[in-house]
Amino acid sequence: MSQNAEKVIDHFELFRGPEYTEMLENKKCMFENPVLPEELTRVTEWTKSQEYREKNFAREALTINPAKACQPLGAVFAALGFEGTLPFVHGSQGCVAYYRSHFSRHFKEPTSAVSSSMTEDAAVFGGLNNLIDGMANAFSLYKPKMIAVSTTCMAEVIGDDLNAYIKNAKEKGSVPQDFDVPFAHTPAFVGSHVTGYDNALKGIIEHFWNGKAGTAPRLEREPNGKLNFIGGFDGYTVGNMREIKRLFDLMGVEYTILGDNSDVWDTPSDGEFRMYDGGTRLEDAANAVHAQATISMQEFCTEKTLDLIEARGQEVIAFNHPIGVEGTDRFLMEVSRLTGKAIPASIAKERGRLVDAIADSNAHIHGKKFALYGDPDLTLGLAGFLLELGAEPTHILSTNGGKEWTQKVEALLASSPFGKNCHVYAGKDLWHMRSLLFTEPVDFLIGNTYGKFLERDTKTPLIRIGFPIFDRHHHHRYPVWGYQGGLNVLVTILDKIFDHMDATTNDVSKNDYSFDIIR
Amino acid sequence: MSENVTVEEIRERNEQLIGEVLEAYPEKFAKRRAKHLASFDEAKGECGVKSNIKSIPGVMTIRGCAYAGSKGVVWGPIKDMVHISHGPVGCGQYSWAARRNYYIGTTGVDSFVTMQFTSDFQEKDIVFGGDKKLSKIIDEIEELFPLNKGISIQSECPIGLIGDDIEAVSKAKGKEYGKTIVPVRCEGFRGVSQSLGHHIANDSIRDWVLDKLGDKPARFESTPYDVAIIGDYNIGGDAWSSRILLEEMGLRVIAQWSGDGTIAELEATPKAKLNILHCYRSMSYISRHMEEKFGIPWVEYNFFGPTKTAESLREIAGHFDDTIKEGAERVIAKYQALTDATIAKYRPRLAGKKVMLFVGGLRPRHVIGAYEDLGMEVVGTGYEFGHNDDYQRTTHSIKDGTLIYDDVTSFEFEKFVEKIQPDLVGSGIKEKYIFQKMGVPFRQMHSWDYSGPYHGYDGFAIFARDMDMAINAPVWRMTKTPW
Amino acid sequence: MAALRQIAFYGKGGIGKSTTSQNTLAALAEMGHKILIVGCDPKADSTRLILHAKAQDTILSMAAELGSVEDLELDQVMKTGYKGIRCVESGGPEPGVGCAGRGVITSINFLEENGAYENLDYVSYDVLGDVVCGGFAMPIRENKAQEIYIVMSGEMMAMYAANNISKGILKYANSGGVRLGGLICNERQTDKELELAENMAKKLGSKLIYFVPRANIVQHAELRRMTVIEYAPDSEQAMHYRTLAEKIHNNVGQGVIPTPISMDELEEMLMEHGIIPNVDESLVGKKAVEAVA
Repeated sequence: MSQNAEKVIDHFELFRGPEYTEMLENKKCMFENPVLPEELTRVTEWTKSQEYREKNFAREALTINPAKACQPLGAVFAALGFEGTLPFVHGSQGCVAYYRSHFSRHFKEPTSAVSSSMTEDAAVFGGLNNLIDGMANAFSLYKPKMIAVSTTCMAEVIGDDLNAYIKNAKEKGSVPQDFDVPFAHTPAFVGSHVTGYDNALKGIIEHFWNGKAGTAPRLEREPNGKLNFIGGFDGYTVGNMREIKRLFDLMGVEYTILGDNSDVWDTPSDGEFRMYDGGTRLEDAANAVHAQATISMQEFCTEKTLDLIEARGQEVIAFNHPIGVEGTDRFLMEVSRLTGKAIPASIAKERGRLVDAIADSNAHIHGKKFALYGDPDLTLGLAGFLLELGAEPTHILSTNGGKEWTQKVEALLASSPFGKNCHVYAGKDLWHMRSLLFTEPVDFLIGNTYGKFLERDTKTPLIRIGFPIFDRHHHHRYPVWGYQGGLNVLVTILDKIFDHMDATTNDVSKNDYSFDIIR
Repeated sequence: MSENVTVEEIRERNEQLIGEVLEAYPEKFAKRRAKHLASFDEAKGECGVKSNIKSIPGVMTIRGCAYAGSKGVVWGPIKDMVHISHGPVGCGQYSWAARRNYYIGTTGVDSFVTMQFTSDFQEKDIVFGGDKKLSKIIDEIEELFPLNKGISIQSECPIGLIGDDIEAVSKAKGKEYGKTIVPVRCEGFRGVSQSLGHHIANDSIRDWVLDKLGDKPARFESTPYDVAIIGDYNIGGDAWSSRILLEEMGLRVIAQWSGDGTIAELEATPKAKLNILHCYRSMSYISRHMEEKFGIPWVEYNFFGPTKTAESLREIAGHFDDTIKEGAERVIAKYQALTDATIAKYRPRLAGKKVMLFVGGLRPRHVIGAYEDLGMEVVGTGYEFGHNDDYQRTTHSIKDGTLIYDDVTSFEFEKFVEKIQPDLVGSGIKEKYIFQKMGVPFRQMHSWDYSGPYHGYDGFAIFARDMDMAINAPVWRMTKTPW
Repeated sequence: MAALRQIAFYGKGGIGKSTTSQNTLAALAEMGHKILIVGCDPKADSTRLILHAKAQDTILSMAAELGSVEDLELDQVMKTGYKGIRCVESGGPEPGVGCAGRGVITSINFLEENGAYENLDYVSYDVLGDVVCGGFAMPIRENKAQEIYIVMSGEMMAMYAANNISKGILKYANSGGVRLGGLICNERQTDKELELAENMAKKLGSKLIYFVPRANIVQHAELRRMTVIEYAPDSEQAMHYRTLAEKIHNNVGQGVIPTPISMDELEEMLMEHGIIPNVDESLVGKKAVEAVA
């Protein structure tokens, strides 16, 4: 028996003792009808081959280990960026349980959202009563300032009409007539979570600017010179939003963040649970119509939203999750151009520090090959930074990327000699990536937590940048935007490179001559 | 902590508390929720709550759906089959590798538990139907994963709404490849919680695995001591730390349902002499079926905490001859020292601490004994998706006046914890951070907070350590500013 | 710019809905209106007379071929026919599979997002028989059709369908502003058809917009995949369609919130007009042998 009250061992060590390993070996041989070891080895090796890669890439119907989620997840994200807002997802209740768990596992924070809990009868008769009752209950219990409604695929297949339903609910007194209930149809079988973010944010902005569902006059734009800022669906939103606000404050920019999740997903442990915290104030969301321009940090998260804003006469600028020196340069210069505010010397100094850090360390990154996957904008931002560092991106993959994304990535790669050996994979999944890593190996892989399965199988060290990150804590509290953010990303990459160097040079008397204490 | 509180006082407090939370609801729903909240009445022998009823809309129920019950609980852990999340991408994505069903195998080659296979439905699949795509998916699985031993099709909401005929596809493809292909109608809108998903999944094993066995020869010689573990999902290795005890007492475990399980084990189960059932809620259906069809008796057991573990070992042994009865005593004796040392170490740190639980499956009652072994007291408990028979069984484990909350809403749960001020809350990931922010120690009692196993004697030591580290962590001293 | 007029033709299958709508729209086009027809029937036969085509490429079939709706361009699915009428067909699955209702939602979203409604006087939706699920109600949602025209006849099932469609309209009328424009009776030469149609319209709180007499020339035109307006512009039948078109044009803003009736009322009305015989309640549920006994 290996268990011991003095030093309790859990799953990490418990099952490695002979009593367990023998038991499990016996289970396998006697009862599992296992694959013969030679056969297992043969097939394992075959999955690493070029032949397998070709079969794998010939897939037309099956998706394996995708790097994308569904629309309503993004809708919940967008809704939570507004003051006192309760996301309300119309459809089956299990979906909402999943979204809440998913966000909580990433942010290590509570995530509040409700469902209209539609069941089989609602599938037949429509979910109107569920929405009416659900709004009444949510309003009574959770006292929100706004309820932002989106839909699961169930409600979309049966064709429930949110606009009509919400009006009905107001007539039935579920919420007051002038209560803010923006909505968006977010079918899970179209696009991905970034599409849902876009639809929901557009729904909210449309609500406030276009007369709050007939309860107020449509706002006429009176340009006030302010700047709107949209972050998009971003796993680093807590750190990033704070960094952006700091930069804006340093520049003296007057701004409105449209969708600010930085407080609701970073509340203190001080004895009080804050279901709502921070977020864009509702009157600010309305007044954002008067801004001179809107900046989106993620083009593919905000396509429809920006169209709406542009149609109201604002200039709209979209970035692709800019990371690093040049990305941040472009971002700040646009802010400066739009607002007429100069970039202060203190920020120039931050820039210099990032450049300094890159100069100090780039030798360890230069020429290293990277595979990279994630949301369309993030992969573009990261690829740009890798090129700055002299790294060679080799495979860039985005399950929810499309033709436009491919063109953008290819243009970016063409702009640098370090990008010339890179291939771009839109709509592919992490099982495709597995074949790529076996047949065209790289030095490092950048991606979210699911990348650890690729790291295990292909032994490509994983640098965790993306969403979700379940198995490392608190990185979302640090920005990846701004020069400071670039520094964080640089350090994240370097730490893995150095750890990997040490782990591969510690074989005593074999290779530990390279086990240097100074790197 | 106020000692010497009478049961009447507790009951009165509970009633007042229930009244307070109900006030927040619109009248119609206060009435409906009232049926789910009560104090346990020992004299009447009932928990006094209704259960397995639709959640009311808009309230932040903690429940999931039928798909979660089938793919996430019952089918997902069968390691040598490929489980297709059939429908849009989300369901499979959010449940991907999240439940810690441990297994041994070469993932992606002969085992597939921590992978996400999805048909990633697009608009065209909804409009034109997804059966052709499903056929193609099965072909592609066969091509890329030739060592799979079977496939299950886990339906997401749209499948049932657009009228796809996944049974026909399964039959045709099963015949073509000579493999078990199981269509599961676990669309998320069916039923009121995960529970119906368990039932549907059980039935699909009955219809598409057991009923199709024919006269397949056994892969092993039967013995009089063959048992099957039913309803252990091997979270953090639970089934393994259970299996070891059964084998040490002389039994032979021929199947695990479904943690670290294989289709061969499912198929071999009709040869068991006794089915031993841990999670009654999710697998009583198949146990009853095997009793009726194959005459296999089943017995419920509880491997949380040494008291219940010893009781269960003796109960299981009671179905066998003296060799096994002696074996049970031998096992209990073997672990006595570990149990004593664990209790000696942790009980002084935990005695008198109050716990509130809200979990699924069997845990709202099954873990109570383990807490009591450490001198702790469960003052409130409830089931995410229990039925009346679960609450009935719970009456044997709880003290008079215990607060009972069925399908609790997060609003109610917060209020209850705020007022009752337990020393520990045990629930899930959605609840964890809420209570920690309130300064209340918390353990996830679905995933064991990434620890475990908690079953058996080896698991109890870990359980005790974890409860201690939660309650006695220095962090709770710091939640208030010192100025 | 005059406001875009959005109308929809609903009616039981086989009632002559597509023929009536295409002839009416052809007449409106003659009057100089710029028109878009959105066929919302999986059969995709709402535009064939305008295009002289068997069936055009539908939005959904093209989208499925290309991979997704996002890959589709408007000009791949929008065709121009008689007098510049623009035509799109939503299309949909074969009977018995998939979700045709969702297809309607998909198609209309696609058209709106891709600017199909720009520079038009009329959008007309031609919708499958009955309001069968949320998807088929898409054209009556807010900011879609303002008036619904129900094509019916003096047959029982057509009346039943008209009543059902009115129920669908009522559901959306209060929140969304959709109105029942009126009934169009496509003559089947049943007993007292005009009287019955007028009575039905009255019961629904609406009016009979027009009674289109039956004429063989419609079939002649159809064989040539043409509207009567085009095939025989000087025929009497063409004049009927022109009158109907004018009535619809002048009916702007005259729609009502319908008052659908109960099944019992409907049966009663049909009995009054002798469409169904009076039922001896004592015979209900009795087998032949029992009835004899």
